[in-house]
Amino acid sequence: MAKLKISGARKAYGATMALSRGDLELQAGEVHVLIGSNGSGKSTLCKIVAGSVKPDSGDVVLDGKAVTVEGPRAAKALGIGIFYQELSLAARRTVEENICLPDLSMNGPFVDRTALSERAGRYIALFEGVAGEGFAADARVDALRADQRQLVEIMKALATEAPVLIFDEPTSALDRAQVDRFFEILRRLKTEGRAMVFISHRMDEIFAIGDRVTVLRDGRTVGSSRIADTSPQEVVRMMVGEEPSLAAAAPQASVANEAKRPLALSVSALAGPGFTDVAFDVRQGEILGLGGLHGQGQSAVLRALFGAAPVTAGSVTLDGAAYRPANPRAAIRAGLAYVSGDRGRDGVIHGRTILENVTPIHFLRNGLKLASPSALRAKATPAVDALKTKFAGFSHPIGSLSGGNQQKIVIARWLIDRPGVLLLDDPTKGIDLSAKADLFALVRKLAAEGMAIVLYSSEDAELLANSDRILVFNGGRIRRSLQGAERTRFNLYEAAYEAA
Amino acid sequence: MVDAVAKPPREPGSVKRFIERYPFLPALAIMLLLLALNGIWQPRSVSLVGITGLVKTYMALMLLAVAQTYVVYAGDIDLSAGAIVSLVNVVIVAAMAAMGDSGFSVIAAMAIGLGVGLACGLVNGVVVATFRLQAIVATFATSIFFTGLALWIMPVAGTPAPATFWRAYGGRILEIPFVFWAAAVLALILYLLARTRLALQLLAVGDDAQGAYQSGLPVTAIRMRGYALCGLFAALAAFCVTGDTASGDPLVGGKMTLFSVAAVVLGGSALAGGYGTVVGSVFGALIIGLINSLVYFVGTPSEWQNLVQGLAILVALMAGILVGRRARS
Repeated sequence: MAKLKISGARKAYGATMALSRGDLELQAGEVHVLIGSNGSGKSTLCKIVAGSVKPDSGDVVLDGKAVTVEGPRAAKALGIGIFYQELSLAARRTVEENICLPDLSMNGPFVDRTALSERAGRYIALFEGVAGEGFAADARVDALRADQRQLVEIMKALATEAPVLIFDEPTSALDRAQVDRFFEILRRLKTEGRAMVFISHRMDEIFAIGDRVTVLRDGRTVGSSRIADTSPQEVVRMMVGEEPSLAAAAPQASVANEAKRPLALSVSALAGPGFTDVAFDVRQGEILGLGGLHGQGQSAVLRALFGAAPVTAGSVTLDGAAYRPANPRAAIRAGLAYVSGDRGRDGVIHGRTILENVTPIHFLRNGLKLASPSALRAKATPAVDALKTKFAGFSHPIGSLSGGNQQKIVIARWLIDRPGVLLLDDPTKGIDLSAKADLFALVRKLAAEGMAIVLYSSEDAELLANSDRILVFNGGRIRRSLQGAERTRFNLYEAAYEAA
Repeated sequence: MVDAVAKPPREPGSVKRFIERYPFLPALAIMLLLLALNGIWQPRSVSLVGITGLVKTYMALMLLAVAQTYVVYAGDIDLSAGAIVSLVNVVIVAAMAAMGDSGFSVIAAMAIGLGVGLACGLVNGVVVATFRLQAIVATFATSIFFTGLALWIMPVAGTPAPATFWRAYGGRILEIPFVFWAAAVLALILYLLARTRLALQLLAVGDDAQGAYQSGLPVTAIRMRGYALCGLFAALAAFCVTGDTASGDPLVGGKMTLFSVAAVVLGGSALAGGYGTVVGSVFGALIIGLINSLVYFVGTPSEWQNLVQGLAILVALMAGILVGRRARS
């Protein structure tokens, strides 16, 4: 009998389907690997089990009994513990307080500090020698490095002593020694009969620790197999599915001209929070894709180039001249453009008219103080029309538009004064299919006219269909560069899961 | 030479850790500085009588700052704290007027007052935590509601409190002023409360509410308890106001609300939640009190007093932040 069985789990956020049919059968005494590309529903499935996401439908059977996991508290009571990918730590509390927070040791009405330290100490001791400098029971979590915080979250999950443990990317920031120690612990828990789910973006780890693997694709469980009976290639093939293995051909003309075109942007040894040793060149008219799993440094690099995130090392050349990304104003003046997928935070100026949303860059780049609305309209119209934006009038508020049309307005603001390099940071997040098509048609046209474009997309199909060349990121570094016929879904996934 | 060698090497960041552990230290330093300045301009202000007067006048603000701290811990705010003080003030004065001047009536009235404070706190907790309204707006609305209740109970200020009550507050027990006993009991209660699960849970919720929820903490109930605690301490503050002013006034607490918020920030707590101490807030309240008396002692013309007070509070805030930042970097 399976320890935990989930069947037909479904979860939609508005029109976005996060998980359409999640199935998972977890045995006691096994490490069960969940694998799938970006947005395939791994984390959603885990959160449903942990009670922090409520499924629209689906059954959870624990020890042969149907249960409903009402919330994280209910999950705790049922004996389910979880490591959250985005961590669930209180940054200004100490390590030991965080480890014991879900279940504080009490002495009458008061927190029993001695018992708390003792209990936390047992879990801290598991990582003794590999936790690194500054890691102490009484250290505040916000003083720790990223890998150390991840260790705290691991200890917190272990401290639940739950029979079912879920680890959603617990090793993404850990070093080799820490991973090895973590795997030792998992092996010991296995002999104790615990059932564990493990998500990782490193294929070697999956094959080192997993007993069984379940593959998700586009929100569905597509297969499950014993690790011993499969191979990394086979797993990648399951992730890719039946779709044609070769990407729809991107216009090859620009690639052919690549060598002759002048360099637009050249980056060498760039480092900052979330990425290290990033180097690439983009030629005029080229669309360079950044690929890999979510959050492997792609966005961080784009934001850093735009001056919106710090750079700690490296150099950047823009149109042959040295360029230092100090802040977005300087970046815009230097001819960079940045479009974020997070419109609400980085793009739209809420509560203002469409015209005001199209023109701020025009004001900045031309040092305008005053301008007549009719003159601005004349400038804005071709930019907005280039994207086939549907809107009633420039004086309407931006909020009256659909998400896709709002994003078109945000992009249009960069088109009045043409930038040299366009940085697209997952620009199609949450917009409809026709708007995506319009957007990429424009991107290709801009490239054909000589603009250099750097595109990060969390949708691999988009990336494959539109990039001339793809750099695959993993753990903040470029792992592989795919060009020409190499740009296949298979190669992309394989590189994304490649050992760091 | 020997000394220099014998000195242990200073651990880098030890000052930083010290300040992080005791975030009220800058407030304590500012408070002692202000106390010294008060003493220079008016030596009698640092005498026993002077200090007793200061504590007697500002005990209410200290308690209200403590009340505010518990909601600020969780990243919330209570703009109705002062209105609760007003409401409890008129309720206990009216109750004592109805029951006559006796020890029993005082104790019964205080029990009623605590009940009213708790009820007000729970109302705030329900609208903010259960109905998920913005704390700043929701408690502003309840403050108007509580003030309205106070005005309904006592339309005009001036009903006197029975002599038993204010004589006890201004009096002495075993030759020690009553307010010092009150301060000692308060210190004990704060010490004990800081060791409860609730204090830690409030801070965890203020640090990262989503994380706390995912850790299995009952976030709604925790925020609600924060407001309940705030209501109780606001009621205690109302007792002190009543003892100090010896009368009922339906608007007495209104202006105290933002002073309590200022005291919390002066005490080194983060308004965003997750970080702070109640002791710091007590020092913050005393800083405000000492600034007010200093402005008076140096002989500021009355029409300038507000302006100078405001500037002095700003300077104290900046000094606290600068000291904290310097020590932490």
